[in-house]
Amino acid sequence: MNVRALRWLLVPLVVVPLVLLLLHGFGRDPQAIPSRLIGKPMPEFRLVTLDGRTVTSAELRGKPVLLNFWASWCIPACVDEHAVMLEAARSYGSAVQIVGVLYQDTPDGARTFGARYGEPSWPTLLDPDGRLALDFGVTGPPESYFVDARGIVRYKQFGPLTAAVVSDQLGRLLGAAGGRGS
Amino acid sequence: MLPELGHAAIVVGLALSAYATIAFVLGARRGDRAVLASARRAIYASFGLAALAAVTMVVLLLTHDFSVLYVARNNATTTPPFFSVISLWAALEGSILFWTLLLTGWASLVIWRHRAGHVALLPWAGATLAAISAFFFAVMTWPGNPFTRVTPVATEGPGPNALLQNHPFMGLHPPLLYLGYTGLAVPFAFGIAALITRRTDEEWLGIVRRWTLLPWIFLTLGITAGAWWSYAVLGWGGYWAWDPVENAALLPWLTATAFIHSSMVAERRGSLRIWTSALVIATFCLTLLGTFLTRSGVIASVHSFTQSSIGPWFLAAIAVALTGSLGLLVWRLPALVGSERPAAPVSRESAFLLNNVLFLGITFAVLFGTLYPLAVEALSGDTVSVGAPWFDRVNAPLFLLLLFLMGVGPALPWGAASWRSVRDRLGLPIVAGVAGVVAGLAIGMRDAAPLATIGLALFVVAILGDELLRGTSSRARTRGEPAPAAAWRLATRNRRRYGGYLVHAGICVMAVAISVSATQGQDATATLRPGQNMRVAGYTLTYQRLVQEPLRDDPQVIETRAEVGISGRQTGSLATALRSYPSSSTPIATPSVQTSLGEDLYVTLLSYDPATSTVTLHALVNPLVVWIWLGGGVVGIGAIFAIWPDRRRATAPAPAPVPVASAGATPPRREPIPETAAPSVRAEEA
Repeated sequence: MNVRALRWLLVPLVVVPLVLLLLHGFGRDPQAIPSRLIGKPMPEFRLVTLDGRTVTSAELRGKPVLLNFWASWCIPACVDEHAVMLEAARSYGSAVQIVGVLYQDTPDGARTFGARYGEPSWPTLLDPDGRLALDFGVTGPPESYFVDARGIVRYKQFGPLTAAVVSDQLGRLLGAAGGRGS
Repeated sequence: MLPELGHAAIVVGLALSAYATIAFVLGARRGDRAVLASARRAIYASFGLAALAAVTMVVLLLTHDFSVLYVARNNATTTPPFFSVISLWAALEGSILFWTLLLTGWASLVIWRHRAGHVALLPWAGATLAAISAFFFAVMTWPGNPFTRVTPVATEGPGPNALLQNHPFMGLHPPLLYLGYTGLAVPFAFGIAALITRRTDEEWLGIVRRWTLLPWIFLTLGITAGAWWSYAVLGWGGYWAWDPVENAALLPWLTATAFIHSSMVAERRGSLRIWTSALVIATFCLTLLGTFLTRSGVIASVHSFTQSSIGPWFLAAIAVALTGSLGLLVWRLPALVGSERPAAPVSRESAFLLNNVLFLGITFAVLFGTLYPLAVEALSGDTVSVGAPWFDRVNAPLFLLLLFLMGVGPALPWGAASWRSVRDRLGLPIVAGVAGVVAGLAIGMRDAAPLATIGLALFVVAILGDELLRGTSSRARTRGEPAPAAAWRLATRNRRRYGGYLVHAGICVMAVAISVSATQGQDATATLRPGQNMRVAGYTLTYQRLVQEPLRDDPQVIETRAEVGISGRQTGSLATALRSYPSSSTPIATPSVQTSLGEDLYVTLLSYDPATSTVTLHALVNPLVVWIWLGGGVVGIGAIFAIWPDRRRATAPAPAPVPVASAGATPPRREPIPETAAPSVRAEEA
């Protein structure tokens, strides 16, 4: 082989590994750190809702829970998933417990949001010092946790909920509760 | 209406840059002046359109038009006007728009400046710049449209990124950095033009000399301002963390600096031409890589923008730019090898070559450390991180060697050096360096790194001072001028040389300040109730009270601050705070920095308990930090001095000199006689 032609190898030798390496970087979200809570009990809390009731983590046991961290300023992601959640609340009814947690937002903001995009049928917890968000390791809204009937965290959704994620995860949790799954 | 106008401007901008690319190529091949003139006008127009789009976005931000997604995500009705304006570069899409504005600005300026000359090179350089602009316009036309609408329209937004809002420096650091990044496309474009036209002689190097130094100044100041911002805002007491995105800015700076040095040799001696071409390609590709790393979501860092679909576009751009330019270089390699002139082993050329090797060594080390976690994850699935200690350990010796070369280089003549002249030059500076080390030991310094840095810095400064003195006394003697006038005239007649020396002196100041502040600092942490004291390095801090209130100019932001009295080498009081922004899950620190020439007292509020008013404070005493910023300023002044247009030479027949772009007001030939035959050199060679 012509030695001088070998210099052309330089180009793919530099380009191909670099591009492959960077290509590998796609599809992974550096912020999507797997939650350490998966398989562990949900952090305990005692918080006040938007309409002044008190909700504790203990009283959520017995039903699968969808815990959704959101904010009225998280647009459009929280608006998109709000529609998904309204639909889920309708179709699952009392079989599951949906709980919203207001993240870095004011109660007024949450009320305006509800009036605009549809009043939620589920309670919205106020987390004024962000303690619950910290316990869950929330990095930014929206972020949701699926908790089974025994209070064990089973799945973390990073970013907005979609109808597919909700039906998969709640279906799994309800199946397990009915004794058919796992 | 306005958002559609903005996006229309971008689409037309894309069409015009694409047209300019083709027209430059066709015009160059056919030698058609009319086509080339229309290509130039298309470039100017694309700049106008980018400006129109940017102004549109600023208006949308100022009027809080939440029907535009970018505004809804990065603005609030309470955002102060200043932060609304600088939100132009707060997030992904806006920053690409701003980037395009600067890039087309550079392209227009350089093409306008050289419109009458360089008939062979300019069209190809113009085509390269137009193609790069077209890429950025295309990104904004499709995946990264900054004017995307959103329905339903929100009534309030989260406001800009909290870190962006926290310090007015964010109005300065990104634009400087972006000016540097985008400006480095100009030398790349001329490098490509030189390779395509086989004119890899000194012509293109003469053109890009100032077009490289100018963005280099912006990049240097941008990196320094970023370090300063990090120090003043992030609250961890340091200024450089080897964060992937800091590295992304440093990488092109390293290769651009190497390019500036090797291009001097290539222009003057005809050596290092391959190096020089490779360096200009590497510099541009590294700016693309930096953009990719911050905008693709590949690497997590404080600087990362949100994940987006533009990543693949940038990856494709890197692949095309790297393949195309490396391929071109390899294609032209035989001609370049043939034109190389060998360098003598002990000469200024070989010092420059060694300088280049060191700069490339540092570049590889930093690039390796930055991409290593990604590579490990790709190959084994493990998550690793490369920490600052690794970067420090690997790079410190290389930087020290560079410092040494910075002194030796100017003391060596071009061509071959005789050992006698070298010995003659280095004797006194070595004594100065040793004296510095001894003085450091005497005041109790025991770490090797700062001692070596001090010794080498004094060695370099002594050589530079000696150069200036020799030149001045020679000029004063032969011309009968008083010494200060002789020194000033000597420097202003040889701007490149003495400006470069001033840059080196500034680097020496920075090097000493960095190594001393990194190793000789002291700190303490304490949890205090009101009235209690803590001590650190001779200071007594008395915690007085905790105050919690909304910021006056943005009531969405709640500030909690601890008021502290200080006594010691500085006295008075300070307030250190944490601010809660609605858009940030964690409070943002607002550390208090009490600066003096000798040291900074740096106090951060780590945590507080509003019920008992107890606070946890972290106090650091960082020696010499202010000299990093001052040294950065000296570097900037030195570089500006070096590129300042020379009035004597401007009288030579040059195409229409203009004040702004006076960078090109010199004939594109090599450096005139006065520098190569500077008095000190002449004295030595006699």
